[in-house]
This record gives sequence, C-alpha cells and structure tokens, in this order.
Amino acid sequence: MPPWKAALLWGLVLVAWAALPLVASRHIVDLLVFAGLYTIAGLGVAFLLGQCGIVNLAQSMFYGIGAYCVAWFCTVKGLPSVFAVTAGIALSAAIAALVGWPILRLSGYFLALATLALAIIGQVLFLEWDWLTGGTLGIGGIPRIALFGFELDSPQRFYFLVWPIAAVLLLLHHNLLHSRNGLALRSMRDAPEAAAALGVDLHRLKVQMFVLSAMLGSLAGSLFAHYVTFVSVDSFAVDRAISFLLLAVLGGVTTVWGPVLGALFITLLPQWLSRLGDVHAVVFALALIAAVILLPEGFGGAIRNRLRARAVK
Amino acid sequence: MTRANQRAGEPLLRIAGVSHRFGGLQVLRGVSFDVPPASLTALIGPNGAGKSTLFNIVSGFLSPQQGAIRFNERDITKDSVQSRGRAGLMRTFQTPQVFRNLSVRENLMMGDYRHLASGITANMLRLRGSRVEMDRLRAKAEEACERFGLREVMDQVAGQVPAGIQRWVELARAWIGGPRLLMLDEPSSGLNTAEIAQLRAALQRLNAEGITILLVSHDMTLVDVAEQVHVLCFGSIIASGAMQQIQQDERVRQAYLGV
Repeated sequence: MPPWKAALLWGLVLVAWAALPLVASRHIVDLLVFAGLYTIAGLGVAFLLGQCGIVNLAQSMFYGIGAYCVAWFCTVKGLPSVFAVTAGIALSAAIAALVGWPILRLSGYFLALATLALAIIGQVLFLEWDWLTGGTLGIGGIPRIALFGFELDSPQRFYFLVWPIAAVLLLLHHNLLHSRNGLALRSMRDAPEAAAALGVDLHRLKVQMFVLSAMLGSLAGSLFAHYVTFVSVDSFAVDRAISFLLLAVLGGVTTVWGPVLGALFITLLPQWLSRLGDVHAVVFALALIAAVILLPEGFGGAIRNRLRARAVK
Repeated sequence: MTRANQRAGEPLLRIAGVSHRFGGLQVLRGVSFDVPPASLTALIGPNGAGKSTLFNIVSGFLSPQQGAIRFNERDITKDSVQSRGRAGLMRTFQTPQVFRNLSVRENLMMGDYRHLASGITANMLRLRGSRVEMDRLRAKAEEACERFGLREVMDQVAGQVPAGIQRWVELARAWIGGPRLLMLDEPSSGLNTAEIAQLRAALQRLNAEGITILLVSHDMTLVDVAEQVHVLCFGSIIASGAMQQIQQDERVRQAYLGV
C-alpha cells in the first residue's frame, strides 16, 4: 500500500474513532470502554500465548489486584489515583515475578493449570480477605479520574482515556516485537533449543513477559475500578480470565492488533444478539465455535493473510 | 597472534573422561580429546556411536554422568546451554533448526544475540541504543547473507526456503555471532555433491580465518577437510589422527568402514 493511502486510511480510522462517542448511544460507548479495558488486559494474554506459547489464565487475578489497589488506596486511604495505579502495577509485577519464576518451568497443559490455580487463589482471597476487599459487599465510592480538573464521569469521556492508553500499549508491543527481545521471543516460539544455543535465557525471558502481562492486567483493573467506581469479587472470577483468553484467541495472537478485534467481538456481539431473547447465549457460543473453526489464526490473522494475498497478486 | 602461537597453550575445548548412560545403555565411556584453537577437528563414527550425545553434552543439552568439559580455560560442565552460547560456543543441529516464522535476515540477526544488550524498556520505547543496535544488526545480517549466498532469499520466511538453504542459514547464523568454537552436527546431510563441495570450501575458509571448528559427519568427502579426526565407536574413542592415518587403522576399518 502506498504511504499516502496508508496515511489516508489511518486518518479515516482516527476520525471515525473520535466521532464514534458523539454519534453512538451511551450504552454502546459504555461497551466500547469495556472493549478498551479488555484490550489492555487481553494484550498481555495474547502476547504470552502468541510469542511464548503460554496459556495464561491468571490475568483475572492481576486485573483484580489493580482494581482493589485503586479501591483501597483511593477510597480507604484517600491517596491519589496515580499512587494507587502504580502500587497495583508494582504489586502485580512483584507477585508475577515471584510466582512466575517456579511455575514457568512448567509447560503446556501443566502451566495452563498452574495459571488457572492462580486465578482461583486470587478469587478465593478476594472473597475471604473481606477486611481488605470488602468481600461480597465490595468497595464502593471509588473516585473518578480527573485530568487537568476535568472529571471523566461519563462513558464518552472515559472512552477518550482508555483507547489512547490501549493504542500506546499496542505501539509499545509492536516496538518490542521488532527489537532484540522481540526477535528472541519469536525465535523461542519457533525453535527453543536453537534460541537457547544462541544465548537466549528462555526461562528469564518468559518470566519477564509474564511480569509484563501482569502489569497490563493490573493497569486494566485499575482503570476498570475508576470507571465503574465500585469493585466486588464477581468482577475478578475465573470466567473473567477465560474472557481475556477468549478475546486473545478470537482476535488472533500473531498480530499486534488482534486483541482489539477480539475485545470488540466479545463485548459488542452478545449485546447485539440479546435481541434474540433467551437463546442469545447459545447463538453467541455457536458464533465463538464458528469463529475458532473458520479463522484458526483469529480475526487479525485472517485479515493479515488476506492483505498479504492481495499484495502478492 | 599466529595460529602456531594459538595452539601452543591450553586447547580451546577439552573433553575429559566423559561417560553417559541412558538407562541400561552405556552411550559414552570415558571419552577424552582436545580441540586446539583455530583447528578443524572432526568426530566420526557409525550410527549409535554416541556422537550426538557427546555433541549435546558439549553444548549443554545433556549433563555428563562422569567427566568434565573445559572451554576456553574454564570448566563449563555445569553451565547452562545459554551461558555456553554466550561464551561463544555455537552449534548447528542435525535437523536444521531455523526460526521458521522469521525471515532469513532475522534468523541471521538472532545469531548475534549474545552481543546485544538493550533491555525490554529500551526496546519498547525504541530508545536510541535499541534503534542503533537493530540497524547495526540488520547491516551485519545483510553482509552475512551476501557472504553465504543468501541474498536472494534474505526477505523470505526461513521455514519456506528449501532444506539445503536452511543448512546455510543455520551456518551463517552460527557464524555471525563470532563463535569461538563452531560445532556442526552433520552439516552435509541433505546436500547434493555440488553443495557439499561448496560447504567444504566454506569450512576451509572459515577455519583459515581462525575459527575453530568441530565437525560431526558421516560424509567422508567432507570429513577429510579436518586436520584431526577422532573415531567414536560404541561410546569409546578408538582412533585419533589425520584422515590418512585413520583410514589405515585396522580397528577403524573394521568398526566403521566395514573392511
């Protein structure tokens, strides 16, 4: 594609993105905010799966840690949001490094089960440590984020925070993949023995990526808490971890922007299908199965392959 | 330093009394030999002799049950695969292990991984150090593509180039990082006569530049480039010397050449 066409395309995408909250209903914009949050958390899951072959089901725990840090520090302790978000990211990174070091020596199903165990541990602790998390009652009254005295108190306003953050993170991910460590990651995925023989410390690299993924999960959780202003254990159950994995697989893990498509799919499609009444969940499940069978590389992979085929012609 | 001087000191690689057993099967029995610096050494032997096991022990994929490996005047017996790679002990594999979804150029760029230093944060933010490192690496990989005749396939995905070319990609990838010791496991496997002749010439050229090479091969037309040949049979070294000597050795003729 010539550069002017690419620039025009990106310009149109940007205009459409900026205009969307002005024309779409509040409810749709609310869903788009959630799609942005899920993109951030799912990005971590997607690159772990796509570059390291790690099935990460622990993301709901880090999502919860980020959210509870914001709830606890901002609401109970009255500390500023920046501190709370940073504390959540730091705590998640520390836990991921501590737990990741031993469990990332596992591989395949065993590793997936270990991460599932982490998600379950997280869920149980969020429920049982009610002195900290509020248990089933949760913690409410979380202050909204204010930027330059401008409170982000509506989906339309939050939309303009969450999507630029997601875009920056996608860009950082893209940069990482095309760098020294990105080459090492992609090499590790293709031929781990050869990568190790060239000096790549596979285990250390996996732990670093797990930590990075946890930080993304925590950031998404922190933004979620500021957006909904209330957190309870229901938002951080194992099904949330499955959603993150689902969006990564559906969107495709071989493209940087796959998680965006996956997140839009899992947030918007159920809403659109809800007009079908009771059977909408069944139809959604069938759509998921069809998507996985027909597009094994996800939406992102399918689009990329189509574009490559056109370029070859 | 001249090659004669290089050879005066301790060998670059010393395999000392290495034994290994898989369950009830004794694969290696007290194997010992040296690889002097800047030499071209070959290890030959019939199928099942233990060559690949020894190769895997030297490169760190297996730990010997007895014996020691010294490399560059240091005991590396307990070192990991990656620390041996970082120390300059580079290897190729019997079945070429290219990074299938990376381009040929990116495969070669990975070869110099041990000399790269940029961190994850610098990579994500594309800081100057990270950009300069990648530019330098790209230029170096292109130069290597030129040298090893890979220019035409440079931008192709490595998994889609023919198996013979994948061998060259692996060799160029091992070379680009400036190996202290280049270990080649059956490098002529799957190559035709003309390609073997090219490989032979390439190995002689690399060795002439001062790269130490340890070669495992069945292929006699390739092995005779080696100055020193060690013959492994049922886990023991049965003969060592120049190729002409080896070919005259009664035990070798009986065990390996079958005459």
